Amino acid sequence: MSTKKILLVDDSCTARLVNRMIFSQKSNYVLISAVDGKEAVERAKREKPDLILMDIVMPRMTGLEACRVLKKDRETEKIPVILLTTRGEEQYVQEGYASGCSDYLTKPVNDAELLDLLKAYLGE
Amino acid sequence: MIGTGDGNRPPAKAGWRIELADGNAPIPTEMEELRVRVQQISLREQIERNHFLLMRLNAANARLIQSLEQGDVFEAIAEIIANLVGSEEVAVFDYHAAEQKFSLAWSSGVEAETLQPFLRGAGMFGRAVQHGLSQFQERQQEGALLPYEKNLTACVILKSSREIVGVIAIFGLLPQKNNLEWADYELLKFLETYGAVAMKFQRLQGRQVST
Repeated sequence: MSTKKILLVDDSCTARLVNRMIFSQKSNYVLISAVDGKEAVERAKREKPDLILMDIVMPRMTGLEACRVLKKDRETEKIPVILLTTRGEEQYVQEGYASGCSDYLTKPVNDAELLDLLKAYLGE
Repeated sequence: MIGTGDGNRPPAKAGWRIELADGNAPIPTEMEELRVRVQQISLREQIERNHFLLMRLNAANARLIQSLEQGDVFEAIAEIIANLVGSEEVAVFDYHAAEQKFSLAWSSGVEAETLQPFLRGAGMFGRAVQHGLSQFQERQQEGALLPYEKNLTACVILKSSREIVGVIAIFGLLPQKNNLEWADYELLKFLETYGAVAMKFQRLQGRQVST
């Protein structure tokens, strides 16, 4: 099984911890992380992850802004971005898809649902 | 395909053979295989659910440990509840046993004036302290809720070695979350003890700094 690099973006340490534990079930996932949208854009350009899993409400740059920046950049436009957030209101879901995200998940995350979605996007 | 009505039975799939004894019912040995398979799926689900709970508890514990270094226990509790339970409306109250009084220690996503009536320690707060048990709105008797408690989902008692340190009040759940689930109750039970321990640690830290 080929190695897949996933960029996990969340300002909440708890969210990063639980997602790390969920991904540890898959031995071929390599995780890198960022704590806000600005750092996510920088790391995505530098490290070209296979997928980005990103929160919305974050300091410095929100997940929506970061997603828009990534989708406008030829280097990163093809990387699937999944937004993972506490914001489940319809308005946020619509804004999420308008920003160019591939999928939208709400917290609290379900591990099986998340892993299935990742497998689908990573072609496994 | 099964059920096309063309009278031709489909070839059996490899590893999955259901013979029909009287044209309708599976023969007993096949029934037994099916029963065992269903049981296995159910047992596997139980183990997987437990695994997921342990991951969440592990993440919550790691965050509490981190809060001891960073001195942000209340933020850690709120983060755990937001990300793992599903509420961004949280308040933490200190309990002063000698005077049997509550005071607001910290809150997020709730208006301060909304919290004022809770300081009296009536209703779910009072029952939590009286019985030393967390109180949940969905488990309250009909008519037992006070008017200002309608949006109070849970009142989690914080106690360490039988000493009641305070309570965590959880108000509205996230829109995508309808009610508390089995794993949420387990996580809140974890916070009852270890949230209290972390709060006590932070208080001692505060005393050290001020002396």
